[in-house]
Amino acid sequence: MAWRHIFNFFLGFFSAKKSFSIGIYGPVNAGKSSIANRICMDWTGQPLGSVSEIPHETREVQKKERVAIKAGGKILTMNILDMPGIATKVDYREFIEHGLNKADAQQRAKEATKGIVEAIKWLEHVDAALVVMDSTKDPFTQVNITILANLEARKIPVIIVANKMDLKKSRSDKIKEAFPQHAVVPVSALNGENMPKLYEEIAKKVSP
Amino acid sequence: MIAIEFLSNNALGKNQDKLQYILTAVKKGDKIVVLEQPLTSSEEAQLIQLTMQQVDKNFAGIEIATLGSAALDIKSHLVKLLGGRTSGLTVVGPSKIVKQIKKDPNKLNLLTQK
Repeated sequence: MAWRHIFNFFLGFFSAKKSFSIGIYGPVNAGKSSIANRICMDWTGQPLGSVSEIPHETREVQKKERVAIKAGGKILTMNILDMPGIATKVDYREFIEHGLNKADAQQRAKEATKGIVEAIKWLEHVDAALVVMDSTKDPFTQVNITILANLEARKIPVIIVANKMDLKKSRSDKIKEAFPQHAVVPVSALNGENMPKLYEEIAKKVSP
Repeated sequence: MIAIEFLSNNALGKNQDKLQYILTAVKKGDKIVVLEQPLTSSEEAQLIQLTMQQVDKNFAGIEIATLGSAALDIKSHLVKLLGGRTSGLTVVGPSKIVKQIKKDPNKLNLLTQK
């Protein structure tokens, strides 16, 4: 009946909610894309993007829409945004050391710088953030501090993901010491260890 | 030889485009710049963006570290509004000279390239 279509249209119009986006931030080679892939594989069966040992593999924002995560008695539907790694320097010579020729290395550097600018722009548009840190490295870096401070200033909920807990040198306690104001969840994107804990924390912190 | 430039609050205050001023000193002058007034987290993010727009084969980027209150909390806002200074400093250097700035909450160690 026509009146039912009109009713549904208005119901949909007034209940329409901006889609909820969770950004995956962090420095270069912390394992952001591996985390994004693990989340997408767990809940959609498909990965989000490629990963590589060569820095700046993700040079554009990668997006998976409407990923439904079941955790903490809730179903959270959100867009997953895998951000390019943030850095203060991009030297094409580093890519040559990884086996790229000069032209490809310079092209990759150019794309990487654009990706960093884009990732910073997106800080204003995400509804929540997973900040991925390599738990085998010193967490007290200016890049980590700047990312967290900008998210805090915008009152965006943050969970720190202490990745690479499968490695012997992993020290997630150092990350907790450095950023005691944030929830820190140690995980291994490689083997999926502790990912359920991360989903619980997302359900606790995030309310789309 | 390594050149270090200490920039007072007044020097930066007079400049309309503070971040470009800092970046020009670092990029063209190959200087390590020490700012009397620390950059806010928002300014740091903007400086990274500005740096990335200017990276080329001769300029790979910067090393940056802020000691002290980078975040503009209510207290810092009030101090600024009243014309006062917030505590701390920011160090910015070209990555071809500054290899790394090691940081803990109370000190900075700046390591230069050989």
